[in-house]
Amino acid sequence: MRARWTSWLLAGGSLLAAAGFAWPFFASALPEDARAAAPIVAFALVPALIVALALTLDREMYTAKTVALLGVLSAVGAAVRIAGTGVGGVEAVFILLILAGRAYGARFGFLLGLLTIAVSSALWGGFGPWTPFQMFACGWVGAGAALLPRIRTPRIGTPRNGTARLEIAMLVAYGIASSYLFGLVMNLWFWPFAVGSGTDISYAADAPLGENLASFALYTLVTSTLTWDTVRAITTTIGIVLVGPAALAALRRAKLGKPGRPGRLVTPRSTSLPGGGTRTHPSTAPGAAAAPPTAPRPSARA
Amino acid sequence: MLRLRMAPLRSAALLAVAFVALRVVYRVVFGGASGGGAVLLDLPRIPLGGPFAHIALLGPVSTGGLWNAAQSALPFSAVILAFGVLNAVVDVRRFFARGAARGPLRALSRSLVIAWATFPALIASVRRVHTASALRGERSIPALLVPVFEQTVERALCLAASMESRGFAAARTAPGVCQRPVVMTDAALGFAGGGWQLEGLTLSLAPGTLTVITGSTGSGKTSLLHSMSGLFQHFHDGGQHGVIEVGGLDRAATPPRETAGFVGLVSQNVRLSFVAETVRDEIGFALTVRGVAAVIVEQRVHEVAAQLQIEHLQGRTVEALSAGEASLVAIGAALISQPILLLVDEPLADLDAPARGRVVRVLDRLAHEAQVCVVVAEHNTREWESAADAWLEIRGTDVRTLGPGERPSALIAAERAARTTARPATPAGPAGPLAGIRHLTVLHGTELAVDDVSFELAAGDRVALEGRNGAGKSSLLRAIALPSARGSVLVAGQDVSLLRAGARRAFVALVPENFDDLLFAVTVAEECSRADRQLKPGNGPGTAARFADLLGLGAGIGAGANAGAAHLMQQHPRDLSAGERLCLVMAIQLAAGPRVLLVDEPTRGLDPRARELVGSALVRASSDASAVLFATHDRDFARSLATKTLVMAAGRLTTEPALVRP
Repeated sequence: MRARWTSWLLAGGSLLAAAGFAWPFFASALPEDARAAAPIVAFALVPALIVALALTLDREMYTAKTVALLGVLSAVGAAVRIAGTGVGGVEAVFILLILAGRAYGARFGFLLGLLTIAVSSALWGGFGPWTPFQMFACGWVGAGAALLPRIRTPRIGTPRNGTARLEIAMLVAYGIASSYLFGLVMNLWFWPFAVGSGTDISYAADAPLGENLASFALYTLVTSTLTWDTVRAITTTIGIVLVGPAALAALRRAKLGKPGRPGRLVTPRSTSLPGGGTRTHPSTAPGAAAAPPTAPRPSARA
Repeated sequence: MLRLRMAPLRSAALLAVAFVALRVVYRVVFGGASGGGAVLLDLPRIPLGGPFAHIALLGPVSTGGLWNAAQSALPFSAVILAFGVLNAVVDVRRFFARGAARGPLRALSRSLVIAWATFPALIASVRRVHTASALRGERSIPALLVPVFEQTVERALCLAASMESRGFAAARTAPGVCQRPVVMTDAALGFAGGGWQLEGLTLSLAPGTLTVITGSTGSGKTSLLHSMSGLFQHFHDGGQHGVIEVGGLDRAATPPRETAGFVGLVSQNVRLSFVAETVRDEIGFALTVRGVAAVIVEQRVHEVAAQLQIEHLQGRTVEALSAGEASLVAIGAALISQPILLLVDEPLADLDAPARGRVVRVLDRLAHEAQVCVVVAEHNTREWESAADAWLEIRGTDVRTLGPGERPSALIAAERAARTTARPATPAGPAGPLAGIRHLTVLHGTELAVDDVSFELAAGDRVALEGRNGAGKSSLLRAIALPSARGSVLVAGQDVSLLRAGARRAFVALVPENFDDLLFAVTVAEECSRADRQLKPGNGPGTAARFADLLGLGAGIGAGANAGAAHLMQQHPRDLSAGERLCLVMAIQLAAGPRVLLVDEPTRGLDPRARELVGSALVRASSDASAVLFATHDRDFARSLATKTLVMAAGRLTTEPALVRP
């Protein structure tokens, strides 16, 4: 029940935030007196939504495993992001967001995007009005990877076949799409500020929607689509192809249990692992599969 | 909360200037830089068509137009600068450090604290893996990134287990009954799909006793231990059957975080389980997450430190601890909430003899003076003989309880093995020197780790390098495998420092202590074929066959002749047992046919059977790779295998290469 509420809240919050990103297009629908207030509302709305969603998800994420994985992976993300600023904006952080989101679900992916930005901003000292927008955009990238259709993973023991490759191909396609979309939405809210007034591609609150759209399209094309976004798409593709299979396996080996779930009393006796995942445990044991088969137990107490 | 950093201010200033410049550029390109003042450039206007009909490129540029553009950007630049000042002055990290203890953003704040604490470990991990990929002769991106990533995830899990067992995120604290620390009634443990691993567990442990769980690697020692801590049922998705009661509570229904008040846990990898940055915070963590007042926490930390005689460590950062000190700090962190039951997982694996003795004495005192019920999982049985009251011996799926007077079979077997193998190994044939180490010196910062070491290796040699923790054994092996000074390492007449990474491996190869760093494929088969790619054609059998050979499974593993071996090939390398993993890494390192194979601490964390496996693998490798040099502080192991022994202390060799001492 609670989980469904959270889903609705997340979807609603994201929708509102999307409206905040797209404020330049909404402003023209407002009465003239209110137009000047549109950017200010957007600038207040997006950070408030970040706080609201963080508060909503916080309680749900309050298990040791989730907190530890979120912390450690966002440190990796921040390191990747900071290392990337030195080499002409080769942003590799999407690789991590997409793979982790895929392995651990939409909520985890969303929070990882949010925290990665928070950690890197805190280290680099880059907090600003843009931070909440970056958080949302990165959060969406992570969450989106989890919302892609499920591909049945092959059973343990069988040779790795096409399904694993299919999943990587899907993630690569998603990585390319999200690289361009990320640039697009980040340009959208900032466009009126970046260009200012007085140019032909300036945002004009009173102009028809089509004209504003055309101006924006040209702006985003010359600003990032042809340059940064393309570099990002290429980096993400290479990254997912090279490290994707191994990194996904590593993440999935560390299964994220459902938070707040009580211990299992009924013992599973099926012969296949649920979800086809790989079991992990801390010992040096080669695994339960190596234990000798046992005689059937009296089933009365199962 | 406040401090001054110049870097954010500088970057904000740069950003503000770039912002102004960009606006000017946009105006010039998109026809807005005219208006007022002198015309600087009279560029033609180029109107666009289609949906872009309202846009024209370029146009005349005037001073007034440029000034207007720059001026219009000033307000937003001021905002950027203002945030730069804020970033320079306010330390956000402190806000989150406070938020992690209590408040509505506890989980995310704790994640952020962990993230910041992870950075040093991340850098160390990158450095380690960088060395490892140099050792394997790999320069691909996955070779570097995948192990770092694996280590990061592993660290996260260790952290999580340690936080969980210390009461993190507990909704309530369950009260435990002192008189009955552990009672198991016809319990069984197993993982989904694997059948029962342990069955028929009926036992009861009393306060004031020390019990040692013994059994070979992979027999389920850790599972049994964690069925008491609750991590097995609630964290590792293990299945339980029957009744396990800890402190009178049903373990299957009570997660570890709720019993943190009376169950203490010291995990296998103490360094990976450290949650805080200083020793003081680390020991006090369990009380802090419970919301105990800071004054009381400090008082308790002081008491525990005094009890363990580690008061002098309190102010240190956890990274500055030696292996033995780290174990004691982890024990202190488990003792902070005055547990009835203390569970310790393989505490001696990483320690040298003096540190082992100290840990055993501490746990002995806790059990027999402080009346704690102490349970230790360990395959180093000999050290515990004086302290243990009872043994739980795992044999197959059975657990046998041995009372006072009885001794576990592993102990007897180990003694027999030590007696029978204490013979001088096959004497080396009369061979000329194969490798020469000349005046090798390694500096760590200003500290001399290896001090002017020289010795020679002959073909067919199996040389044991002995010495205490920190004597410089690992530094010496690393320096031989990756020499930097010219002329310091000569193998078969070749100066190794002059070779490129790929070529070097044909002369000398190292299996490092953290041998897992060399593994980064998803299956064993992939790992082997990757190693084969570096193999010169006609250079002996493939890596898969060599791996099978080292394991004593015989050749033909690749062809799938042996069903067990074929199954092994499809597994994730990290799902192999420690002994099997070590053999895999040795097979990979032998792929290039090195004349000298170096192995660092081959027996660390291995049970007697796995040690035997690795020992015979080393013997097989020495015929392959002309000479083997291995570092160890396991004297029995060294004596049973080595043809020569070198002893190292404080960076120097204390004896010349000599025949094995009796």
